Amino acid sequence: MKIVVPIKRVVDPYAKVKPLADGTGLDVAGVKFEINPFDEIAMEEAVRIKERDPSTYTVAVSIGGPECEEQLRKALAIGADEAVLIETTDGLDASVIAAELVAFVQEVAPDIVLMGKQSTDDDSNQVGQMMAAMLGWPQATFACKLTPGVGEVTVDRETDSGEESLRMKTPCVVTTDLRMNQPRYIALPGIIKARSKPLAKRGRGTSASPRVRLTHLAALPPRPPGRKVASVDELLTELKSRGLV
Amino acid sequence: MQTEPGCGFFSHTPRSVCSPEGFHSDERLMVESASQFTKGEVLPLAERLDRQEEGLMPELIRKAGELGFCGVDTPEAYGGLGQSKALATRILEFLSLDASFSVTLGVTSGIAQLGLTLFGNESQKTEHLPALASGEKIGAYCLSEPNSGTDALGLETKAVRDGDDWLLTGSKMWISNAKWAETFLVLAKVDGEQVTAFVVNRDTPGLTVAREEHKLGLKGSSTARVELEAARVPGKDLVYEVGKGHHVALNALNIGRLKLAAMSIGPVRAALFHGTGYAQERKQFGTFISDFGLVRKKFADAAAWFYGAETAIYRTCGLLDEVFGASDGSTAGNRAAAEEYAVECSACKVLATEAEARIIDEMLQVFGGFGFTEEFPLARLYRDARVSRIYEGTNEINRAFIADRLARRIASGHALGGSANDSFVAELAGKALPRVGDHQEQVGAMSDLLMLQYAVQGTAVRSAAQGGLAAMANSRFVNWANGEAARAYQVVTGESVTLPAPGPAYTDELASGVLELRGPI
Repeated sequence: MKIVVPIKRVVDPYAKVKPLADGTGLDVAGVKFEINPFDEIAMEEAVRIKERDPSTYTVAVSIGGPECEEQLRKALAIGADEAVLIETTDGLDASVIAAELVAFVQEVAPDIVLMGKQSTDDDSNQVGQMMAAMLGWPQATFACKLTPGVGEVTVDRETDSGEESLRMKTPCVVTTDLRMNQPRYIALPGIIKARSKPLAKRGRGTSASPRVRLTHLAALPPRPPGRKVASVDELLTELKSRGLV
Repeated sequence: MQTEPGCGFFSHTPRSVCSPEGFHSDERLMVESASQFTKGEVLPLAERLDRQEEGLMPELIRKAGELGFCGVDTPEAYGGLGQSKALATRILEFLSLDASFSVTLGVTSGIAQLGLTLFGNESQKTEHLPALASGEKIGAYCLSEPNSGTDALGLETKAVRDGDDWLLTGSKMWISNAKWAETFLVLAKVDGEQVTAFVVNRDTPGLTVAREEHKLGLKGSSTARVELEAARVPGKDLVYEVGKGHHVALNALNIGRLKLAAMSIGPVRAALFHGTGYAQERKQFGTFISDFGLVRKKFADAAAWFYGAETAIYRTCGLLDEVFGASDGSTAGNRAAAEEYAVECSACKVLATEAEARIIDEMLQVFGGFGFTEEFPLARLYRDARVSRIYEGTNEINRAFIADRLARRIASGHALGGSANDSFVAELAGKALPRVGDHQEQVGAMSDLLMLQYAVQGTAVRSAAQGGLAAMANSRFVNWANGEAARAYQVVTGESVTLPAPGPAYTDELASGVLELRGPI
């Protein structure tokens, strides 16, 4: 079985970030970058599948500048067999990323594309779905459990109405939710081994251009300070005077 | 030949120093993995570890070993990862947020292995190192005795030849890891005077471990006596040569001291995390206490002291990596390499353990009365930190050693006698050196000058490359070091000295940095 795991480089989700003064993006000077945590869960799951079935082959792929190599090396340290960086400095939106990944996936021909349901930086939650549509493959999103079978997979997903269990044919796209697994501590020998695993760089495979343009990025205005009221009556009077109740 | 020989700092300014910023991204990933392991696996167990819950600590060491943390700088040929001392030390620092865990790990990955790594023969290394490096077995180092602590070579344990075997008889005290260890490096005397090292398995008939000591801190670590009553050790387990055990013992301790320095600033990270958190939650007079100048001063001082200690530690690691890299790997080569930077290793031990003491004391102060209760985490950090200035060579014996060793190196032509004069501290050190008398107080003060010189030289070079908060930490650190140096100079010479005008203290900038990072800058 072959599994492709798309990996996105994102700002550390726990870092405090500020928009640039001109509103064109985030000020990321000195900020730490990580693998998108949902993608790390997908990578972890792919490696666990490989640990159960050693014939599994896993490929991590990322799109972006040369700095994404850092996250791909981490994916290799977790246990990916191979990594590919589609190197570009072009502006990217979900549709471009999906198109590029589709071109890559058509070439690699995996059984499963396993990826995070969304990224923690812009939370768009679109790429997996777009890829499934472009490829004409079945998809299961927000997966909390993945059980590979022969020519098919079973996916459990948590929904508002309860847990669903889906069975679908491969090849397919699966996007992972937070509860699928707890990523491992990366063992030091794995990091050393990752140094000699293949990490290929290539150019873009499509000429797709973004449909979405960032016009302005600004921090939320600070919340005005509250004030204490002495009694419930005073609160009610105040709310009524503002027409809120 | 390395660019900076032992004690070279005294007469020469380096162009660059090894520092954590120089790590490659995969080295940083290893450090990050250590940090996550500590936060995820060690810190949640801190209170249970402190109660020595049965089996908990050995299980944690086994887990750490699986991830590679017990053998980062153990040679690859013997089951380790063969990484640099700088990286191994940085990883150890981030595994050291809880001191009980770190001393257990530090001993089994450090001084318990080093004697064998540096001086063991091929079959000894093959037999013992892989199990220690993988965490499958825990190691211990047995030098101290009831009547020989700082005077380590005054030990009384006897080794008597019996056919092909040796019979070891004596009492070893303060043995870290005694409860869990399976492999002991034991120092004994042949014919009452020839110090000799042995590697001894736990199941050796005649070896028993006595009850645990009731300690002030490090309660989660095991410390007990190891009693030897005609313990029968096969001849093959004698390490290096009869009468050369002091090289085994003391060179392991040189590097052990450097590792201990890193293990001492690890808990400072935990203390700063708690102190900055509390200061930004606690209000008095309607204001967060993190806004009061005298509280901010504590964070700014912490940033400067930490920076000074950290810089000295990784600079020394870099020097050791160079000298070991250039060594032929023979026992003689290892011995020369481990001895070369003995002064620098001692300086790191004193600088780091005293920075630890001051910073943790100040973070406890931030907590006010709550800091004095065991309900809050600073009390344990405070108790745990106290031993850092005592073990692996008291800070007093290190102070007695540093200036003395520099003088000997100069006398024997292994170091130059003229000061680099690259700082106010260096000028004072240069002027004071010829005037050191015999009294230990003067020798100790001279050692203070040398340690401070080593530290400010490192922070100047390192911060010039970093800029930003690092440059501010350097400025504040130099102010502090100048004051300390002036005091030490007066002790050596009995003469007054005028301090230069201070550089900017950057109190608010450094405090804001520490408060935002919840840790050192």
